[in-house]
Amino acid sequence: MRAQFVLSEIGIGLRRNLTMTVAVVVTVAISLALFGVGLLIQRQVETMKDYWYDKVEVTVYLCGKESEVPSCAAGAVTGDQRDEIKADLEALPQVKEIFYESQDEAFQRFKARFEGSAIADNVTADALPESYRIKLKDPEQFQVVASALTGRPGVESVQDQRALLERFFRVLNTLQRIVIFIALFQVVAAALLISNTIRVAAFSRRRETGIMRLVGASNLYIQLPFLLEGAIAGLIGAVIASGLLAVGQYFIQDEIAPAFAFTRFVGWDALLDIIPILLLAGVLLSGLASFFTLRRYLKV
Amino acid sequence: MIRFENVTKVYPTMTRPALADINIDIEKGEFVFLVGPSGSGKSTFIRLVLKEEKATKGRIHIAGRDLARLSDWKVPRMRRQIGTVFQDFRLLPNKTAFENVAFALEVIGKPRSLIGKVVPEVLELVGLAGEENSMPDELSGGEQQRVAIARAFVNRPMILLADEPTGNLDPTTSVGIMKLLDRINRTGTTVVMGTHDAAIVDQMRKRVIELENGTLVRDQSRGVYGYSR
Repeated sequence: MRAQFVLSEIGIGLRRNLTMTVAVVVTVAISLALFGVGLLIQRQVETMKDYWYDKVEVTVYLCGKESEVPSCAAGAVTGDQRDEIKADLEALPQVKEIFYESQDEAFQRFKARFEGSAIADNVTADALPESYRIKLKDPEQFQVVASALTGRPGVESVQDQRALLERFFRVLNTLQRIVIFIALFQVVAAALLISNTIRVAAFSRRRETGIMRLVGASNLYIQLPFLLEGAIAGLIGAVIASGLLAVGQYFIQDEIAPAFAFTRFVGWDALLDIIPILLLAGVLLSGLASFFTLRRYLKV
Repeated sequence: MIRFENVTKVYPTMTRPALADINIDIEKGEFVFLVGPSGSGKSTFIRLVLKEEKATKGRIHIAGRDLARLSDWKVPRMRRQIGTVFQDFRLLPNKTAFENVAFALEVIGKPRSLIGKVVPEVLELVGLAGEENSMPDELSGGEQQRVAIARAFVNRPMILLADEPTGNLDPTTSVGIMKLLDRINRTGTTVVMGTHDAAIVDQMRKRVIELENGTLVRDQSRGVYGYSR
């Protein structure tokens, strides 16, 4: 097998079919970029989950002056009740850490979070509840804590932040699935386009391939230039997709992430993980599409 | 060298078989004319020998090997031992005469050094010694066919199949081509040539196999073209 021969045939092929090669490269780039976005979103979700689950708290809201819940019939929580609740909390084996937030502290946090908006000016410290923020050793054990404390005098409600997050993550998971679905759809489109391009290329070279078959060239030798053409186009597309993702990552990292301080975004390491996957996918996609198209079309 | 035993070939779209129960035995070194009107099965014969098509019934042996037992991926290697020449020359228009002949060696992986040595030799053999760098459209029909013959012969094949090689050539040029084929035959290559050219057949008096509508009607050594009708 003469490498020079194969290389020159590839060069001829790529140049002759330039428009279609470009079409293949663009389609592969878009499909793989979308696929890459899907992968990144998936990793992002995992990262966020890890980050948030680590921070998840059970919040025990203590009765304030205005609470209307039955267990608050006696009015605001008293010092004794507070101490009792604290003791019970400490006694629970599931509890890892307890943090007390007074009304003033809640007020400061509220003001900081909603700084600049009208609501911050209209709220007083009294309107915000005191709370015990509890970190559990195992976030799944929320029920135990809840049942221990709900309805106790002085306790207004027990809230599992994880329930809130679950909803949030369900949205993210759906988003993730949609992106991957779109990406797969694009990948199918890319495969079909590659298939067509190779068919056109094979057709325009049918004279050469016919003579090659007559003269006794082995099937692999005839197919190789086309396969490599397809693979190169796929590789270039994958490189472009990686480039697009890198640009996107830079943009997110430097522009968006600082504004979204409440969560961590996937870093460059995730991107570096994904790039080899994309490159491999690009080459395989094009290579396989070319191979099977040629088999059927050339009867080779 | 080529043996057809009760070979029948039916194409899917045809009502009658392209070849019906053909028995032919061609020995090594023979020169055989395959004559008959269009559609008689001459081209089918050639395609069966190349295993471009598979026989519907019967057995075909090439150099002692049963074609039916040859697996598909071994077919290219078999074809390297069979040179082919066609009516339309089948040269690559963007390559010079040298490159066209070299192509047959390149695709089977022969090294540059060998190609550089052997191609000029065979071009000289066919009488095109100075034309290495000419493009096909710069050559006459006869010269193009010589290039095609050079390409078919460069690998020193056992069999040379020619499907109407003089079909596009004038009588004088045709004679030149036939002389060349005769010379090649005398080096020991078995030559099977399908043709309409009555004059050539009559002149050369080689074995004549006549096909009509897919059946063998005549097999005559030192035969003539004429239909005995």
